Amino acid sequence: MIDAGARTVEQVLVDLGINPIEVIVSRNGRLVPDDAVVSGDDEIRIIRIAHGG
Amino acid sequence: MSGQDLPAGMSRCVLCGEPAVARLRDPARHLCAAHFTGFFEERVSRTIADGKMVRPGDRIAVALSGGKDSTALALVLSHLLPAWDDVHPVAITIDEGIAGYRDETLRAAQELTSRLGIEHHTVSFAELFGKDLDRILAGREQRACTICGILRKKALAVAAGRYGATKIATGHNLDDEAQSVLMNALRGDLPRLIRDAGRENPCFIPRIKPLSLTPEREIALYLMLCDAWKELPECPYTRYALRAEVRGMLSKLEYQHPGTMLHLIESKKKIERYCAGAQVPAAIRRCRECGDPCSGELCQLCRLRHSLG
Ligand SMILES: [Zn+2]
Ligand SMILES: [Zn+2]
Repeated sequence: MIDAGARTVEQVLVDLGINPIEVIVSRNGRLVPDDAVVSGDDEIRIIRIAHGG
Repeated sequence: MSGQDLPAGMSRCVLCGEPAVARLRDPARHLCAAHFTGFFEERVSRTIADGKMVRPGDRIAVALSGGKDSTALALVLSHLLPAWDDVHPVAITIDEGIAGYRDETLRAAQELTSRLGIEHHTVSFAELFGKDLDRILAGREQRACTICGILRKKALAVAAGRYGATKIATGHNLDDEAQSVLMNALRGDLPRLIRDAGRENPCFIPRIKPLSLTPEREIALYLMLCDAWKELPECPYTRYALRAEVRGMLSKLEYQHPGTMLHLIESKKKIERYCAGAQVPAAIRRCRECGDPCSGELCQLCRLRHSLG
């Protein structure tokens, strides 16, 4: 579980050591920009953009 | 204006007020799904127009691996092509023969083309070269991407000729192109980029890269919004490549210094322009062994054949 007081997606990712431009994030099932604010109740999904053309 | 009661912390599209799915930079703006998709396709359309990539009467071979970039390419083209005069796509998939990787992407490619109603052909390394990639590479995994790249280029050219294509479109994106510039520089071979780009050899079917100004991340987002995103296995050979290291390094730089990737592409284009007058057009030669057009005595493929023994 990610403890996300009230932070942006970007801050959460950086804290996890993830480069925000290598992933796309959904919050409660909807894709959101990386400055979206998330809180502890939100269900966050981090989708990695794997390589391969 | 809709989206009056968006939950806290949710931003809206600058164009219509719907919930935003993306924050783009330069200029900074938020876009909703529909406006992001529109912007994405428009940029591809502009890349094609500015690069004079397509002409009436063209039959475009779309190199469709089934992975994300080529899937996005096929999707965008299927949306853009109807507006162009007499331009037709044909999808070509190269089956290199990579166990545990290719089967799933092949199936994805087939599903996509039947959904889009695009003519589709598959050509395999086994058919063209007598062996699949896994067997060709045995013990040479370090050189996998170089070897596979040369063979794939040849396979695409053969297939494109076989199915009457006048252009070959590949899914190379902005990240790929920036990585290539940096890799050539790191290998001490920057001139190679210019050599490759400047080769206007009438014996080659011209290659076009409609996604070359589109960041990889936006391609993934576009696919998700088109409901065409699939979690597919990664090519097992990528971990051997210098490209994997350069990729991580560049995306870190891009995050900390937005615009880095575009700057690399711009540098390349500037060097190309400076060299344009100085370049002596190389005479079109034919490979001593196979007769393919090439720049030296032997073509890349025949040199590879020798080095593999
Ligand atoms: Zn909008
Ligand atoms: Zn040859």
